[in-house]
Amino acid sequence: MQIHLDTMLVTLTVAALIIGFSLWLRGKIVDGAPRGAQNAVEALIGFVNDTVRDNFPVHNPIIAPLALTIFVFVFLCNCIDILPAYLLGHTAHLFGIEHFRPVPTNDLNLPVAMAVVVFAMVLYYEFKLKPGHFVKELLLQPFASLLLGSKNPVVKLLGVLLIPLNLTLKIIEELAKPLSLSFRLFGNMFAGEVIFLLIAMLLLVGSLDELASFGGLLSEVIGFFVGLGWSLFHMFIGLLQAFIFMILSVVYLSIAHQPAEH
Amino acid sequence: MNIDLTFVGQIIVFVAMVLLLKRLLYAPINDAMEARTKKIEDGLAAASAGEEARLRAEEEAEKRIAEAKHQAQEIVAAAERRAAELQEESTLRARKDAAAIVDAGKAELEAEKNRARQELRAEVAAISMAAAEKILGVELDASRHSALIDEAISKELA
Repeated sequence: MQIHLDTMLVTLTVAALIIGFSLWLRGKIVDGAPRGAQNAVEALIGFVNDTVRDNFPVHNPIIAPLALTIFVFVFLCNCIDILPAYLLGHTAHLFGIEHFRPVPTNDLNLPVAMAVVVFAMVLYYEFKLKPGHFVKELLLQPFASLLLGSKNPVVKLLGVLLIPLNLTLKIIEELAKPLSLSFRLFGNMFAGEVIFLLIAMLLLVGSLDELASFGGLLSEVIGFFVGLGWSLFHMFIGLLQAFIFMILSVVYLSIAHQPAEH
Repeated sequence: MNIDLTFVGQIIVFVAMVLLLKRLLYAPINDAMEARTKKIEDGLAAASAGEEARLRAEEEAEKRIAEAKHQAQEIVAAAERRAAELQEESTLRARKDAAAIVDAGKAELEAEKNRARQELRAEVAAISMAAAEKILGVELDASRHSALIDEAISKELA
């Protein structure tokens, strides 16, 4: 089993920065009119609270902090893409780390880890709040429910035989949630990185001699503006993906908290 | 691009982040926001209560002013009624006094008239007796002839 040092280092650094900021802000919180950083954080927490309140049927004290962490953590991890690609790579290279990939959301481990945590919470609340209903859904949906209610023994037997199929379909359905959640984030950020590389390879020149020619200069200028445009768009994608990850996590947990329909 | 030990590390980092952010950032900021919201709600409730109290006081004041106006109108009306009564009483009393004065004057006039009549009768009787004495040349006896003279005078004055 290997460990990706780049992902671990960057996520730990981002986490340390967020925790450090929280500790710094904690000593400056005022009950009166907020200013500066507190104002910004309050706006963010207000936004997260509103999102959770709009989607959640009951009060659960862990959901809003979870949504806040997902949004802030994913957004900041995505934002590392704004830094010049060679900066962190070359710095890491000085410390002997080869093939440094600065954006941790480009590593499937981080999105999957977060999605698995959310999925585990969904399963926990499903089993805790409506255990019978969830097991019934696992075994009897979508095919067996009606068949088992029949008085005809053949149809009933067919219903029993369909239980493994139901279970398989339901497991696939449930597993699709963390899978789609994590691959969406990973895919978007990875694709963004690939496009950066494509822009760099296709448009940016490789040496000073090429830059001295008209074609090379023109290509460099076009490459700069295309790269800048993509950077801005990629920042927006990073923000959007953070929001999508947060809102889907809240929605999945909200579904787990919905009362069972009879 | 496979799942490995990093996955476990990321789960630990993520769960720790959730717990730490809840404790260090979310809870204090949320508490501050809730405290401020409560303070604002209390302030608004107090302002609302003050406004209600002001409206109640205004209503009370208007009610009292209306009552005072009504009382003042009643007092003025009573005073006017009393004034009219006093005027009526004064008029009646004046009329009564005037009638009494007129009656007294009439009585006095009548008394004066009677007294003048008595005096005139006495003088006429004396003059008549003096004239008769001169005409007849004899002295008349007043006690005996006065009845006749009075009867004659009464007939003349009547």
